Amino acid sequence: MQRRARVAYMFLAPALILMMVFVVVPVVASFVMSLTDFNIRALANWGNARFIGFGNYIRLFGDELFWKALRNTLYFVGIGVPLAVTLSLLLAALLNSPLNRAKSLFRIGYYLPSITETVAIAVVWRWVLNSRYGILKQALEMVGLDSPNWLGDPAWAMPAIIMMAVWKGLGHNALIFLAGLQSIPSTVYEAAQIDGANGWEQFRFVTLPLLAPTTFFVGTMTLIGYLQLFAEPYTLTDGGPLDATLSIVLYMYRHGFKFFNLGYASAMAYVLFGLIFVATLLTMKRKGEEVTFG
Amino acid sequence: MRRLPLTLVCAALLVGIMASSIAAAPTRLTVWAMGAEAQKIGEMTARFEKANPGIRVTVQAIPWGAAHDKIITAVAGGTGPDVAQMGTTWMAEFGSIGVFEELSRYISKSKSVEKGQFFPGSWGTCVVAGKVYGIPWYVDTRALFYRTDLLAAKGFKQAPRTWDELRAAAAALAVGGGFGMALSTNNYQEFMPFVWQNGGRILDEKGRPAVTEPQFVEALDFYAKLFHDKLAPIDSGGTDLFQEFAKGTMPMYFSGPWMINMTNEQVPEIAGKWSVAVCPAKKTRTSFVGGCNLVVFRDSKNKDAAWRFVEFMSDAGNQLAWFGVSGCLPAAKAAWDAPELAGNPMMAVFREQLDDAQAPENVPQWAQIEAAIQRRVQEACYGKKTAAEAARALEADIKAIR
Repeated sequence: MQRRARVAYMFLAPALILMMVFVVVPVVASFVMSLTDFNIRALANWGNARFIGFGNYIRLFGDELFWKALRNTLYFVGIGVPLAVTLSLLLAALLNSPLNRAKSLFRIGYYLPSITETVAIAVVWRWVLNSRYGILKQALEMVGLDSPNWLGDPAWAMPAIIMMAVWKGLGHNALIFLAGLQSIPSTVYEAAQIDGANGWEQFRFVTLPLLAPTTFFVGTMTLIGYLQLFAEPYTLTDGGPLDATLSIVLYMYRHGFKFFNLGYASAMAYVLFGLIFVATLLTMKRKGEEVTFG
Repeated sequence: MRRLPLTLVCAALLVGIMASSIAAAPTRLTVWAMGAEAQKIGEMTARFEKANPGIRVTVQAIPWGAAHDKIITAVAGGTGPDVAQMGTTWMAEFGSIGVFEELSRYISKSKSVEKGQFFPGSWGTCVVAGKVYGIPWYVDTRALFYRTDLLAAKGFKQAPRTWDELRAAAAALAVGGGFGMALSTNNYQEFMPFVWQNGGRILDEKGRPAVTEPQFVEALDFYAKLFHDKLAPIDSGGTDLFQEFAKGTMPMYFSGPWMINMTNEQVPEIAGKWSVAVCPAKKTRTSFVGGCNLVVFRDSKNKDAAWRFVEFMSDAGNQLAWFGVSGCLPAAKAAWDAPELAGNPMMAVFREQLDDAQAPENVPQWAQIEAAIQRRVQEACYGKKTAAEAARALEADIKAIR
């Protein structure tokens, strides 16, 4: 038995060593770093870093910009996640509809943004959102609406970011929903039809409950991804105007890689980790309550 | 008589040994060049190698976006180059942590390099806490680009020379959905000249924040009001400045010499209808000076050869040659007497501007101070804070950073 265990560990060794070196060690190191005032001076000479306990964490709670970044991120998540999940589910239902005659075309069309680099997308969206010549402004004016100054108005910059992020992730999420939809056996729908359920009732009482595991997966992954909002504001607004689109990760990036306050940035990373951890736990708990459907 | 041949033999031997050792193992210099400069510097290193047969130069191209990280990694790992091109605003950050070799003793021995041969603002970027860490390589500065025809139509026969004239011209031009000028709410390079023109500053002699001084507040107030009164667009993101300039919807802006060629290429239809002028004055006509310096890394094992390279590149003649290769403006004043620069009226404006151009305070925490300035300036431009409130907030920010 001992011998067998030893052999097993030997086979596991490559994976374990890789994980130790590239995951465990950096995670521990960054936590230790978050307890120091590691900055650019310390990069030149590690001896310059001082252990300051939870000083960085305490400083974070007094940092007005961190709170703003936290609020912005929660705003983005609070609106963005439900919107992304709902819209991609609707899209998947439409793509799955027998009425849809050009399925592949639509699937490719909606999936394209997901595989396009955010930087390229941002360049195009800057033009779409342009406050004076943007196509969105023209479209809104055509139906008689006033277009806001999307990227120049602090009140509208975050909605613009949400719009772009949801649009970009739509195809990917819809694809997962589509797989979920197609795995629901047609017999269940036939049974529902015999019982006299109309289209909406079938969707509400058959599709939605049977799709719950997929919804949970899409919702959780979107939540985790959205809490780490970075590329969209980085490329579109650089956190502005008036820090209205400054996210936690963008603020962390500034401190870590522009100001080289690596200790402070690490502390931020751990606060974000805690946030994601708690948020995921909560959704897991809800999942336990809901998915009782046999 | 018998001694002489011996000395000669010795000398010959010595020369022979030196020559053979040079031929056998030339000194290898590694030079880091950033961005587009990396592609073009080869022509200069070839000239240098020709003049210094014992030295071979290897150029490593570093993209600007990765340069900062790369230097940091090199510092931590001791894998830096011998010579590097360095952005002027990074001098203090790296200089203060001992990345660069202090150059005073090389300069005092040098026959060609001296402070006075460069523009004062440019030289200032090389000095950190009284120590010289670099030699100016090339400069850029900002001046006022304006539409001569549109200004003339409003009765302005020449470019605005004062703040009042600038405001009056912008107000006269901002009609029919257009603006008087393009200006940025979050680019300190556009904002700082206004502070300097009014005699303001960010830090005082002792390094304490000086942003609540009336000169700073007044400049911020003037700047912010250009946005409040819709003379400049609050959101310039995604704007095609060339098109706006050509259409006359943003008929004035502050930028650098690179815009001359770009304007000619992008909107040739307005050729002859625009020009460049020295920044308008409050107390002075000071502008922003940036560009790049050359530095020797302290960990370099070939410091003498590295210095020879820096010395070579700082020479006015070679800086002029570099201008021919790259279009980068010489930091050495003498190079500007050459006809290709002196004979170009727009370049002459930049030459005049360089005499009155300044760089921000050379302090290690500049990146953070810069971010704070941009944040508070934007708050004032959006009218979220008055100039005085924004200045007080900025003062608190800088105190927390320093």
